[in-house]
Formats: sequence, structure tokens, C-alpha cells
Amino acid sequence: MAEGYANDTEWANVTPIELDDGSESGAMPLATIAYPPEYLEATSYLRAVMAANEMSERALKLTKDVISMNPAHYTVWIYRARILFALDKDLVEELNWLNGVSLKYLKNYQIWHHRQVLVSSRTHFPTMPTKEPDFLMEMFAQDSKNYHVWTYRHWLVRHFKLWDSPREIEDVETLIKADVRNNSAWNHRYMLRFGPRDDEPDAGMVNAGKSQSKPEEKGRLPVVDEDLVDEDLKYAQKQILRAPENRSPWWYARGALHAAGRSLGEWEEFVAKFVEGDEVKSSHAVEWLADVYAEAEKTKAVEMLTMLKDKYDPIRKNYWDYRIRMLGQVA
Amino acid sequence: MPPIIAGRPRRKVRFPAAASANPPPQQKIISTPLATAPHQQRSQQRPQQKRPGETQPSSPRPKGKSSGMASQDEPRPGIPALFTQPPLIRDPLVTETTDLQDATLEKCLPFLKGLHTSQKGPFNACGVPALQRDDHVAYLYDSLEDYPAGFVAMDASRPWMVYWALAGLTLLGEDPTRFRERVLGTLRPMQNPTGGFGGGHGQISHLAGSYAAVLALALVGGEDSFALIDRQAMWRWLGRLKQADGGFSVTEGGEEDVRGAYCAATIISLLDLPLTLPPDAEKARAVGLETLTDGLAEYLSRCQSFEGGISGSPGVEAHGAYAFCALACLSILGPPEETIPRHMNVPLLLSWLSARQYAPEGGFSGRTNKLVDGCYSHWVGGCWPLLQSALDGKPQSPGAPQTTVGNLFSREGLDRYILGCCQNPRGGLRDKPGKHADSYHTCYVLTGLSATQHYHYRTDLSPSSSENFASAFSWQSSPVRSDDNVYEKSDCLVAFHPLYVIPHQAAANMRVWCEGQPIAT
Repeated sequence: MAEGYANDTEWANVTPIELDDGSESGAMPLATIAYPPEYLEATSYLRAVMAANEMSERALKLTKDVISMNPAHYTVWIYRARILFALDKDLVEELNWLNGVSLKYLKNYQIWHHRQVLVSSRTHFPTMPTKEPDFLMEMFAQDSKNYHVWTYRHWLVRHFKLWDSPREIEDVETLIKADVRNNSAWNHRYMLRFGPRDDEPDAGMVNAGKSQSKPEEKGRLPVVDEDLVDEDLKYAQKQILRAPENRSPWWYARGALHAAGRSLGEWEEFVAKFVEGDEVKSSHAVEWLADVYAEAEKTKAVEMLTMLKDKYDPIRKNYWDYRIRMLGQVA
Repeated sequence: MPPIIAGRPRRKVRFPAAASANPPPQQKIISTPLATAPHQQRSQQRPQQKRPGETQPSSPRPKGKSSGMASQDEPRPGIPALFTQPPLIRDPLVTETTDLQDATLEKCLPFLKGLHTSQKGPFNACGVPALQRDDHVAYLYDSLEDYPAGFVAMDASRPWMVYWALAGLTLLGEDPTRFRERVLGTLRPMQNPTGGFGGGHGQISHLAGSYAAVLALALVGGEDSFALIDRQAMWRWLGRLKQADGGFSVTEGGEEDVRGAYCAATIISLLDLPLTLPPDAEKARAVGLETLTDGLAEYLSRCQSFEGGISGSPGVEAHGAYAFCALACLSILGPPEETIPRHMNVPLLLSWLSARQYAPEGGFSGRTNKLVDGCYSHWVGGCWPLLQSALDGKPQSPGAPQTTVGNLFSREGLDRYILGCCQNPRGGLRDKPGKHADSYHTCYVLTGLSATQHYHYRTDLSPSSSENFASAFSWQSSPVRSDDNVYEKSDCLVAFHPLYVIPHQAAANMRVWCEGQPIAT
């Protein structure tokens, strides 16, 4: 498009709508941008075709041109999606193009919503596009905690009912193996194992957002597969042993136990090993014991919380003090 | 990014080295050379003699764990070991997460110790450098001017650029109302007749852009500003964004998330929009919802994750920015001591939120096993007054409550991180050492600093005459007077409303004016 739209016969019948950045108001507008001329021109044609709600090949080309200059322009993505459907374009081809754009602009999030809009079309994709997991792993190789990519992957699981798909848990385990501290992967695992399925609204935990259940009941499963919980707890223990000061598996295990309605106390023996003697290996183990002791042995619970406050996690002193005060109130 | 000089007779935004070669002709207080490598100026002027032979501490990060990663140099006096030493427990296993964390620590430590050559000071008795108020003011004034072509990616964020700068300037004690005419001129072409503001002229309306635009108009205030907003159209547009599950999508055809929920609640309450669903709220009406706020709290409840924090949309990882959006939205919808415990598992939330603060950095991270970032001074820091108010319970008298659960995080840690690590030597604030300043970080780091300097509480008084959102308009603040403050009086900022992130009076003025101009439903 370097030659411009004004001299292009294909665009001869369109009157571009010039940018109004506020300069006309008489007051000098704020935070203006000295746009490159080709961007100014392309976006003035974009305003014109959008105002006419034009669904055409040339408009589709124009959206690509604007995206190439500014992929953060959310409007152009939404317009592009509408054109793709209106013209019944090949969406697999669009996905392939998107892959390249996504790898080029890792932080961009408009791309991911666009992808979701396309893939959500049951007509085009009655089942998941087969290459999706591979591409997502390619994205994770660039940034294994990319929030937008994980959000998309979560949606993919819900949309195509992939909770028990072997590939999902495999990829999660690959990522946790590579970096046991990848909390995004742990979150995805929780959602696969304990998240609400399609008979319930999407939520971070089951039982959420219902007037009849208390927030403390969020996450508690109505029916528990104890074998699956045991397997997951074993997995968490294995990962804790690799790096005991890693918060992710500890809180995953708490989530798993809570989901199953089981108590933190069943891990007491395992946890105590990290707090033996003078050498404490995990502040999370100390906190775990504090919670276990809080049930019946308040003095010991206070002792644990005091260790955290004074020695192992002192930046959170005020919080640990609050926890100690709460124990007193319960007693 | 090639510097392109626009044909406009205006001053250009100055940018760190790579971005622009055009120094602004008429800077207020800029004394540093522009477009040169950072950290080189000022080393001679620095008011400290402790380490004459100091070199740039940008040493490569250490391989694996070691005791040698901390700088060997003695910190300035007055700095507790908590803020100069790596954490006591460190696992031997090295992964990408620990590599990044170690590199960050390595970068932060010289700043935390008050030893980095780029720190301007003067340093106080706590070893904390002063707020470079004049530099930040100049930076923000500058950020409202003309950007070079390389900043074209900002084209959909101009309402934000205006809000961030004006909010930051207001915090620093400047008067934003002098920008009224320019704000009106800037935002007018961004408003769509179908309701809401886009990121720029000809862009479809977006809740984030509309939020920023409404707040910018509240900041500059005045009847002309309030009257600029087509509230009737805004109300109808919000109806079209309302989803069957109670939440809001950010644009028509866009994604639904917690940001959308907070931006919508902010707009509805500040503009006193009718709560009744407009006729075109098809999705919401189809499932029997009756108001714009129906089902919204329940939607937010579904965004709490098993870790206790809150995610951008249900089922995703807990994240600090979304935690603020969700808690602020709940606190707009009703009194936080009612709405938060009704919809959130509070003990779990407290635990997760508290774990966002790291030592020795002192700052907040947004997620488990991620790095500290100055912007979470607001996103995470801003959750604390809301939770504190929820725990304190119903306000008892017009004044400050008699008893409070108190502050549950380390103000000292956050203030040290902000003043020690986040100040760019040439003005503006940043994510962390080694990153450029930008107006987003400048705004939210300063908002976070202001929040640590004030005690925020609710009263039973509201400037609003309406029952709706009475609690949201009942917040007041008083400066923290404590011997524990690690900042100086001269570092104190203006207080912001903890939900609307503008001054209390600016929020009240907009609300009261809108109450006087009811719109037909």
C-alpha cells in the first residue's frame, strides 16, 4: 500500500474521512501523535468504509494494512472479524496469518480476542482446529506466562470441552516440568481438574456466584473423585520437593484439598519435614502448619505465625500480626 | 523509531534515547541532557561520597543462586536489612522464574541501598531518596504534548494518555483545570453518537477509553465538561454491553472482563445513569436481568480463583490489576463490608493479596511467581484500603472510625520501592530499574504512593442525595501521621478517592451535577 489509497483506482469512489484529533476546536489537543502519512491515509479510508459499513475485499485488505502499522488498534480487529464472516472467508487461512502476527507482537491482546471470535464459530470449527495446541505451545515458548494466551486457552477448554483431553494435561505438565514456578500452568491444571464443567457457569471455582452458597464454599466439589485428588496431591508433593519455597504447588494442594472437602491436617507429616530443626526449608510449610494448628493448638499456631513474621516472611509482618490477632478472637 | 516532525507549531514530547531526537524547546525544569544514554548524568552532583569508584551496577546476572548476588557495598544508614538482603529461604533449583527474579533483585539492590549513581536524592535519615517532584511534574506536562510517529501504537489510547497525565499532575499538586479547554477539544471527536468514547476519532466506543475520558472530564471539572458527555447515549450503549452473565463486554463485539465491570460501574455511578436496563439491552433482558448492575457482583464472584486472588475473567489466573477492578466495583455497588464478604472468600483473598509484596524489593507483584512492578503500587496497593474498610465494618460516626484493623501490608516496603527504585532520574516513574518511565506507570506509581500516605475510611455522610451508590461517595481521607513514615513531608501527595482514582471533590462534583440533570429513561 506504499503507493497510497488516493491514487488507487480501487478506492476512487471513497471519500476519506480526515482525522479530527481535536485541532479544529481551537484549543490545542492533548497527547497528539505525529502520525506517519501512510497511517493517516489508511485510517481516514478506514473511517469512511466503516461509516458505510462496507463488507468488501478491499476493506479487508485495508484492515490488514492498518493492523500492520498498528496492531493495538482494537476497532480495526472488530471490523475485520465482521468482514471475514460477511464474506465467508477461509478462517483457517486467517488463523495461519494470525499465528505470525501473534508471534511478532507478543504483548498484543486484541489478536487473542479476534482469534476467539473466529474459533467460536461452530459452523467453521465444530471441533478444535487441530494445530491450536502446537501453536499455543509455540507462544508459551516465547512467554510461558502470557496472560492473554492462557485466557484464550482457558476459553478453548470450555468451548470444546477439553477438560479431560490428554493433550491439555500433557502440555501443563511439560510447562511445569520446564519451570515448576509457572503459576499460570498451575492455574490451568486446577481448572482442568477442579474447575466447573459445562453444567455450571464459567468460574474460577465451582459454586461461585450463587446466592445460596457462601464464598467460603466456593471450590468445594459436590462429587469427589478421590483417586483423582490423591493423584493430584501426589503430583503436588513431587513438585514441592523440587523447590519447597515455591508458592504455586502449595496453594494448588490447598485448592485440591478444599475441593475434596479434606483437611490440611492430612499433610501434616509431609509438611513438618520442611520445618524441622533450625533449618526451615519452606515458609509455605510454616504457614500450612499454622493453619493446621489453628484448629486445636492455638499456641503452636501463634508460634508458626511468629516465625513467619520475625524470620521467614517479615515483609508481611502486619498480615501475620493480623492472623495472630484473629486466632485470639476465635479462642 | 524515526523522529518525524509534524507540521504543527507545538512542542514535542521528549523521550528516552531511542524514541526521539527532538528535545522540547521550552521545558520547565529539565536540566538533564536529552537523548543520551540514561544514568550518565549527575554522577558528579550526587550528594554522597561513600563509594567513589562505583561503576554502573548493571553487572550480568549471576548464574544460579549465590550469596554473591547482592552488592557487597554497604547500604546507606537507616535502611533495615530486610530491604538490602535476599530472602532467607531460596531454593537451589534454577528455572526461568528464578533467573528473572534474581536479575530483578540484582537490578533493584543498588537502588534499595541508595547507592545507584542515577539516584538524585537528597536521601533522608531512612536512606530514602526524595520525590523528584519537579522532574515528575515536568515529565507529565510534557507527556501531554505531541508524540513522534513511533508512538502510533498509542493511537487507540489517547483518552488514557490524557487521564494518566492529569491524574499524576493532580497528585503532585498541580491544577488540572487549566487544561479544561484542551481536554474538551481532545475528547469531543472521540465520543460516538451511539454512546461512549472510542480511543480516538472514528474508533468504536470502548469501556476503558470511556472510563479514562469520564475521569479526565471529572478532573478538569466544570459544567461544560460534564455536559460534553451524552449520558443518555452512554446509558443505552452500556445496555448493549451488558452480558447475560451479569458482566460487561468492553466494546460491542469485544471481550468481556473485570475491567469492563469496573469501568462500567464507575461510569454509571459518577454519571448517575439510570439503573434500569435500556430498551436495547437485549442480551441482559433475554435472561431476565432488570438493571445494569444485576448479576454483576455474582459475575465478579466467579472471577475469584482458588488462590484467592481475582482474574480478568472466570477461570483464569489471579492478577493484581483485576483484583483492584473487582474490589473497587464491589465497593461501588454497595458498602464494602457487605459486598466484599458476600461475594469473596476474604481470608483466601487476604492471603493472596498479602503475598504480592516481596522483600527485599518492597514492591508488589501482580501474580504468584511474577516480578514486582511499580504499577501494582496502585492495582494491588489500592485493594488494601477497600479490604481494610470491609474488615472495619459499617462506619459508626461522621468522623474516622474508632477502631480499625489497621494497615495489613508494609507501607515502608512499598514507599522504599517507589521512591528508591521507580523514579526515573529525568522525571517520570517506572515499572522497575532498567525500564523507561511512561505516563501509565507515573500515574499509578504516584497513586500508590499517595495511598500509603493517607488513611482512607468511610463515613455515613455522602454528598450525593441519592440512595444509589451512597457508600461509594462517603469516603474520606486523612494524612498518615506516623513516626514510621520513611518519606518526608515534602514528598506528600494529594489524596485520591480510592474507587474513582481522582480527588474526592472531583468525583462528588460530577455526581452532584449529574443528579441535577436526570435523564429520561
